[in-house]
Amino acid sequence: MRKIYEYPKSRAAFERACKVIPSGIYGHQGPTEGCYVPVEAFPLYSSKAQGTYLWDLDGNRFIDYMCAYGPNILGYNDPDVDEAAARQRAISDCTTLPNPIMIDFADLLVDTVACADWAFFAKNGNDVTTGAIMTARAYTHRKKIVFFKGYYHGVSPWTQKIDYAGVIPEDVANNIYVRWNDFEELSQVFEDNRGQIAAIIAQPYMHGNFMDNELPAEGFWAKVRKLCDDTGTVLIIDDVRAGFRLDMAGSDHYFGFEADLICFCKALANGYNVSALCGKEFLKNAISGLSYTGSYWMSAVPFAAGIACIQKMKKLGMPRLLIDKGEKLKAGLIEAGRKYGFDLHVTGVPSLFYLRIADDPSLMLHQEWIAECVKRGVFFTSHHNHFINAALTDADIAETVEIADEAFSVVRDRHS
Amino acid sequence: MDSRTMAFINLNAVLGGLTRLCQLDSGAADIIKGKDISVGISVKGGPAGTLVFKDGACTLAPGAAKCDIKLPFSTPEKFNGMIDGTVTPIPSRGFTKIGFLTKDFIKLTDMLTAYLRPKPEDLQDKKFFNISTTIMFHLIVDAIVQIGNHDEIGRASAGYIVDGDIKLEIDGGPVAFIRAKNHRLKAYHQAPEKIMSYMCFENMRTARDLFDGKINAVASVGQGKVRIGGMISQVDNVNRILDRVALYLA
Repeated sequence: MRKIYEYPKSRAAFERACKVIPSGIYGHQGPTEGCYVPVEAFPLYSSKAQGTYLWDLDGNRFIDYMCAYGPNILGYNDPDVDEAAARQRAISDCTTLPNPIMIDFADLLVDTVACADWAFFAKNGNDVTTGAIMTARAYTHRKKIVFFKGYYHGVSPWTQKIDYAGVIPEDVANNIYVRWNDFEELSQVFEDNRGQIAAIIAQPYMHGNFMDNELPAEGFWAKVRKLCDDTGTVLIIDDVRAGFRLDMAGSDHYFGFEADLICFCKALANGYNVSALCGKEFLKNAISGLSYTGSYWMSAVPFAAGIACIQKMKKLGMPRLLIDKGEKLKAGLIEAGRKYGFDLHVTGVPSLFYLRIADDPSLMLHQEWIAECVKRGVFFTSHHNHFINAALTDADIAETVEIADEAFSVVRDRHS
Repeated sequence: MDSRTMAFINLNAVLGGLTRLCQLDSGAADIIKGKDISVGISVKGGPAGTLVFKDGACTLAPGAAKCDIKLPFSTPEKFNGMIDGTVTPIPSRGFTKIGFLTKDFIKLTDMLTAYLRPKPEDLQDKKFFNISTTIMFHLIVDAIVQIGNHDEIGRASAGYIVDGDIKLEIDGGPVAFIRAKNHRLKAYHQAPEKIMSYMCFENMRTARDLFDGKINAVASVGQGKVRIGGMISQVDNVNRILDRVALYLA
């Protein structure tokens, strides 16, 4: 039996944080949005990270399948990326005039991403999804945006829902929501809003929370692409989450179509803070006209990191490498579950797999299993897709499956 | 804030609180002891319900067709005015029993108000505190349901709630559940048999502090003072409706 982790130092730090930071840890990395059920099963703060491992404040080591929710693609502290960043830091970072390494990074993205004729840089995924919407509206002079239900495109008011705190109905008045993979409904929406839709924004496949992830139906993207072409609508792919884990040329390329605008962040620079909006030539004038920038958007260090990250990903044969690792893990987890009579569903592309024990629709059984995995050193979450990174070894996968097996046995004993 | 939704809350959640009051406060139970009378409320374009006082208990039944005293309101605003004390209701039926309305019913609603808008010194009394918090808990559950079914933004939240029962509980205290079906909500003031998700407050004090806005719900989950689990998207959307309860009941 594995050692069961405890987290007294994390708990103490959280109590301290609650006094000076709203909700202690806000957002997706906090225990509430992170769905830590029960909260005692999860660490709350890290002390260090290396490769595929994360250590918490109490010295517990985890095989980390959240990868900082995506940015860790090569492994934490990748030496090549860190060296490139350090080299640039010694030269300049945040300065009055941008460093030309920005052009090198844009050149590399244009060479790498199939639909890219240009690249525009910012910091977070939300910056570039917002930039994409503004660009589409500037180009089309239309207001309405179509979303697929279950989407996540950031945290700006336009991305949120009418009932979210701090959002007013006007913020989302031009949002139209349709079901994923339902081309008939989408066509009807276009019929009902003829000449008013500026853009469709979508993730390359449905990787929403609390539900099995769903790939595009056969021919879906081709029909969507044609609909956009026929109606002069901008097609935006939000590849913030999936980018470079499906296809180095963009997840649109993976599914056989071309986006007009594509948004990257997470895996772009292995944890260095940069995001990129890439797009087609016909939209370059529109984005050039935006009043849209930020204090750190042209910092040079993340550009250097991004260049090193993309070059290394290409060299390693990403994302095939990650998909293969994900396949191995998927097979091991499903088999471990089957051994104890659990029907574990592993959905989505294996490099960003989603887990769900399908025996219980309430997810309580699943949450129990996830908690038992975390307490033994495998950092999974119960609600969100996971991420594979290149530093994950076969030995790590074997250890993960061993822990998952033990966690299944504990849950089975509890419910037999 | 929508007047019609407010009327549904006022009838089903606020006046519905009389049912709990008569269960929990012996003084309230004494007032209706031996009574056999019903008060129907009918709001044009809004809710209708009948408060039945019988055998020392109070229940709220749907509709106002069969009642001893009938209070019709031409608009939700007028009914809401009665609850606020700015409108005097005129019965359309039951003039001979008006004494119940002007004496006993007023006493009960005054008692209810004392529990719902308590003086800080009253909350020092443990029994008062527990009754007040219990009544408030059930009222909030009822208000969530009314907002989820009638308020435009609340309906948007309910629109994201998958089918199933959501248990709400104060550990060592009251329990209720909300049943979501086809994005319509219904409150049950008892423990559910099988749940899809849950939100449990560690004790009455934590629940009270959250109701009063003294502590933060997100931090409380992190601190383990509030437990959530199961289909958390249900809890998340119920919480979004809960945010609007404060808007209506402020």
